[in-house]
Amino acid sequence: MSVPDYMQCAEDHQTVLVVVQPVGMVPEDHFFRIYKRIISVNQVSIRDSQRLLYIRYRHHYPPENNDWGDFQTHRKVVGLIAVTTCSSAKEWPQTFDRFHGQREVFGATLYDSRLLVFGLQGEIAEQSRTDVAFYPSFDRCEDVEKRVEDFVESIFIVLESKRLDRATDKSGDKIPLLCVPFEKKDFVGLDTDSRHYKKRCQGRMRKHVGDLCLQAGMLQDALVHYHMAVELLRSVNDFLWLGAALEGLCSASVIYHYPGGTAGKSSGRKPSISQAADAGKRHRPGAQEVLIDPGALTTNGISADTSSEIGRTKNCLSPEDIIEKYKEAISYYGKYKNAGVIELEACVKAVRVLAIQKRAMEASEFLQNAVYINLGQLSEEEKIQRYSILSELYELIGFHRKSAFFKRVAAMQCVAPTISEPGWRACYKLLLETLPGYSLSLDPKDFCKGTHRGWAAVQMRLLHELVYASRRMGNPGLSVRHLSFLLQTMLDFLSDQEKKEVTQSLENYTSKCPGGMEIITLPDGLKLPPVPFTKLPIVKSVKLLNLPVSLRPHKVKGLLGQNVTTKSPFIYSPIIMHSRGEERCKKIDFQWVQGDVCEVQLMVYNPMPFELRVENMGLLTSGVEFESLPAALSLPAESGLYPVTLVGVPRTAGSITVNGYHTSVFGVTSDCLLDNLPGLKTSGCAVEVVPALPRLQLSTSLPRSAHSLMPPSGEELSNSVSVQLFNGETQQLFITLENIGTELLETLEVTYKMVNTKEKIFGEFLSWDLQGPLSQLPLKPSQTVTIAVDIRVKLDFSGQENLLQDLNDDGISITGLPISSPLRQVLKPRAENKPISAEANKTEYNHIKTLEAILHFKYSGGLGQMQGYYRELLLGVHVDVEPSVFFTRVSALPATSTRQCHLLLDVFNSTEHELTVSARNNQDVVLHASECQRMAIQVDKLDVDSLPEPDEETLRFASPRQLEEERQQVQGYQVNSKLGITWRFPLTRCHPSLRRKGEASVEGVLNQLVLEHLQLAPLQWDVLVNGKACDCDMVADCRVGDTVPLEVKLTNRSKNAVGPFALTVVLFQDYQNGVHNYDLQDAVTFIGSNTFHIDTVNPAENRICVGALLFLYTGDFYLNIKFQDDSCSRELPLAWFCLPNVHIKALDPGY
Amino acid sequence: MMTMLGGEPFLLVSKQEQQNYPLYIRSVPSDSELKFHYTVHTSLDVVEEKVSAVGKVIVDQRELYLGLLYPTEDYKVYGYVTNSKVKFVIVVDSSNTSLRDNEIRSMFRKLHNSFTDVMCNPFYNPGDPIQSKVFDSMVSSMMVQTC
Repeated sequence: MSVPDYMQCAEDHQTVLVVVQPVGMVPEDHFFRIYKRIISVNQVSIRDSQRLLYIRYRHHYPPENNDWGDFQTHRKVVGLIAVTTCSSAKEWPQTFDRFHGQREVFGATLYDSRLLVFGLQGEIAEQSRTDVAFYPSFDRCEDVEKRVEDFVESIFIVLESKRLDRATDKSGDKIPLLCVPFEKKDFVGLDTDSRHYKKRCQGRMRKHVGDLCLQAGMLQDALVHYHMAVELLRSVNDFLWLGAALEGLCSASVIYHYPGGTAGKSSGRKPSISQAADAGKRHRPGAQEVLIDPGALTTNGISADTSSEIGRTKNCLSPEDIIEKYKEAISYYGKYKNAGVIELEACVKAVRVLAIQKRAMEASEFLQNAVYINLGQLSEEEKIQRYSILSELYELIGFHRKSAFFKRVAAMQCVAPTISEPGWRACYKLLLETLPGYSLSLDPKDFCKGTHRGWAAVQMRLLHELVYASRRMGNPGLSVRHLSFLLQTMLDFLSDQEKKEVTQSLENYTSKCPGGMEIITLPDGLKLPPVPFTKLPIVKSVKLLNLPVSLRPHKVKGLLGQNVTTKSPFIYSPIIMHSRGEERCKKIDFQWVQGDVCEVQLMVYNPMPFELRVENMGLLTSGVEFESLPAALSLPAESGLYPVTLVGVPRTAGSITVNGYHTSVFGVTSDCLLDNLPGLKTSGCAVEVVPALPRLQLSTSLPRSAHSLMPPSGEELSNSVSVQLFNGETQQLFITLENIGTELLETLEVTYKMVNTKEKIFGEFLSWDLQGPLSQLPLKPSQTVTIAVDIRVKLDFSGQENLLQDLNDDGISITGLPISSPLRQVLKPRAENKPISAEANKTEYNHIKTLEAILHFKYSGGLGQMQGYYRELLLGVHVDVEPSVFFTRVSALPATSTRQCHLLLDVFNSTEHELTVSARNNQDVVLHASECQRMAIQVDKLDVDSLPEPDEETLRFASPRQLEEERQQVQGYQVNSKLGITWRFPLTRCHPSLRRKGEASVEGVLNQLVLEHLQLAPLQWDVLVNGKACDCDMVADCRVGDTVPLEVKLTNRSKNAVGPFALTVVLFQDYQNGVHNYDLQDAVTFIGSNTFHIDTVNPAENRICVGALLFLYTGDFYLNIKFQDDSCSRELPLAWFCLPNVHIKALDPGY
Repeated sequence: MMTMLGGEPFLLVSKQEQQNYPLYIRSVPSDSELKFHYTVHTSLDVVEEKVSAVGKVIVDQRELYLGLLYPTEDYKVYGYVTNSKVKFVIVVDSSNTSLRDNEIRSMFRKLHNSFTDVMCNPFYNPGDPIQSKVFDSMVSSMMVQTC
């Protein structure tokens, strides 16, 4: 006996073996249909008894196994059901002969046999025979089961008779010696009369009867017989049979203890009536002790009747004893080389029992033993079967790794080099079954998080084997999938050399069959999920990039609070509410624009020891229609973090989410989702796409700036220009805007903002006229519009007064007090123009000042405008201002007229060129480089009231100080515009680049005192002598002896009432040598009072004081009107009381 | 894990419930290392079975040494489990009769002490493969002794 039945289990001992075989030509499918119906009759309740007969069917059974039928009766073929077809009566005898022939094979052991004939009709089929059943066809055989049951019953009758026959053998009869095939020759010539021999015969027969009892459903009887057999056989050291008896005992006990069976669910038995009946008395503790009545063991044979023992014995073994006995039995079997199959099967049975008992350790010992049982030369197929069954048994006891190990061995056996036709398919299938044992799943998602699961070294080996097997199976798609999986999940464990090899072979495979993202479904239904290469390259961070500054869309503000989201009721909370998952989905606070190229930056890392070529790398997005523009990259070996920018164009507006990216590496295309990437840093992957907006390109007439202009609010400039100008110069800048987008440009707005406003600038720095350009809108794509911007620089360079003190040596003060002799101060021509000698000084105040401003162009159009978006272009304007001319000193002198005054300006040419300074109503002054000259300009005083008042708004919010400054500024501007001082480089002698001109502003140098001088006093004094107004250098003539009427008229132009004052008219003579003679009582007489009293003069009113003079002598007289303020507080400025001196010439009346 | 000179492998495994993976493997000679991988991997079944069986009885005072896990034709496999469920496996040549239970036991104890030192290293991340030189040299010395 050489073919073990690995599927055997302990309860098979109580079955009877029936072979079902086709005879003649029977189509396989028809046969198995019938076979299935037959095997459904696997237990038959015997009429008139409580017993059940279990039947084991085989469609194939080696006859040499049948020879062991005496040893264990369940190995004996007791029934034969032959299935045959027979179409005509002619064939019938032949068919029947065949059936006979078949019967002969198992002839000796058969109790009964049946022939099922299909297809035969007619006379022969009419006859009713017990051993033959006729059916017209395979489809019309309703009573097959009934037939089989009848057949089983007939077997039972034979079995029962045999049992009774053996059991009641009279002790006097000679008991035949039962033996197994290999023993037969051993007993030749043995003394059959010896006591030893007899005992052996008895023991073996007892054991045999036990088997029969077990088969016949008499469990208790069987136990008793087995016990007796054990006793008998032990005494004669008949080990092989002792083992069998012990095993029988175990089997019977197992059947008793585990009515559900030990073979597992697949072959589980139907619970039978009888088992249900004795379920109540099953397995009571303490009931297992062997209760063999010693008296029942008669000395000379088998007791006639065991029925007396049935009621009172519970000879069943306890679960622990079962294992002990199995061990013992196996050790006895082990003594016989030829009983290897028996031993192996016993081991398997014991393991199944232990599995039920959940005693894995002991089971593993049995299995370990089973591994080493040598069954002689096994065929490759048998080896595979053996390893598979070992694997299954290990699985049964929960040793998954061991199970996997043996399954893998079985798989390897399928393709052993000795096999001529390797079964790669079978090998592959078996290998797949080992996966759970190595805690390997083929889903890469199981490996993407946390530490690696399982034993990498063996997993790698297994994957390699899978790859190889699938390749040999001729399925390169599978190979690619497995190899990809290996590369993806085992990357950390592969050595550099291995990485190279694996990728090499992957490339080889993919050249035939490119790898993709589809799920591969195996014929047996297993699905192989796709393996995206998330580690080739490893992506560390994903960052959506904002558009370039000039292309960013801005939302028109004004709809207040529409973006206020109330996630939390708290204004501030230290607890961060959102989870990580949300963070990934959270919106980014910038927008992309439909139709514009958008970028996503990935930081990638190549873990391979060689250059990694990634092809067709692009973005995977959802939300809006997105045109991805794939890139190909080549990452150097073991690169550090490497930035990669993936680009694409959103084609519609809405919300877009970047879900991942796709790559093609080594011929395998992968879609890597960001959610599956471990340790990925991202600042959000969802972004809003706003509708399309126009795009403008800006170009200017001025050169680009080399200066980097830093705008204050972190904005970036799209462009910047720089220019160098002399102070006061004006330059025109032409800005050309071209619509390079696809949308119409519909609106354009221009504003500017100074950047660093430390310098005080006078007037508008930049100014433009937008009327023209705006009339060209809307601007179609590729059209242009030009805007002219004036750059005007007016700065104050006169900061260095102290350096120029030498110009001030004549001591002219700018106190506002009336100076007694205005004539004296009328411009003395300066003796020399002092050049500034010190070069060092020159550089000091020659330094360049810088003005920077940013021009904002806000534009919009198309759909984006409808949604309230616009774009902004920023143009930086950088101007280096060189000082041209400036005023080192300014002072004012009252002119002879109270309506006018003189401004004295020290003009300094700080350039290196000669230039001409001219003022309105004045002659030009030519200044050489670094030369300073004084100019005197006569100006009309300002009428303060005529200046525009600051509006209500500023009045309310500005501090008094600011107001004052503002007022001063306005006045300065007024003065400046009156002066109109310009400078220019002489046209003739200069280089064309120096043909420049500009304004010179005095605004910066005007101070409070000067301004006061320049103001027209609100109190206007008019002095009339002889009815003629005396002002300026007017000389009033009068005759000696005549009364000269004198009239002083005060007009109040201020807002307040003034007064009271006292005016005293004093006359004096100026001798032009510094001596004033006031002692003129003899020469002049006042008619009336020389003192006038003015009470109050209300605003916009006037008051006239009238007096008269009588000159007694001729001569030049001066009339000085002195002013006395009666009110104690003098809040009004002195200049307001500046009354003119009147020059009166008294002439001889004779002329 | 490791194997000793003369085909006597030592093996060490960490267990993170259901996730057994090697922390350290060393075998001498190293040419048939994969074979030992399989041997040790399958021995884990027995280790788990033993640990779970012991666990049922007394959890606290259990013997760390698991004894002979199973004998194969060529090797004997011994097991040891720390209280933190880190497994040590030593595979020795069956023909090496000088190593008896007591020797194996003391080897495990040494191994455990050394492993404790490794774990005490603040820069060692529990669960990472062991790369300690001290541990390495200890294992080497143990392997040399036994051959």
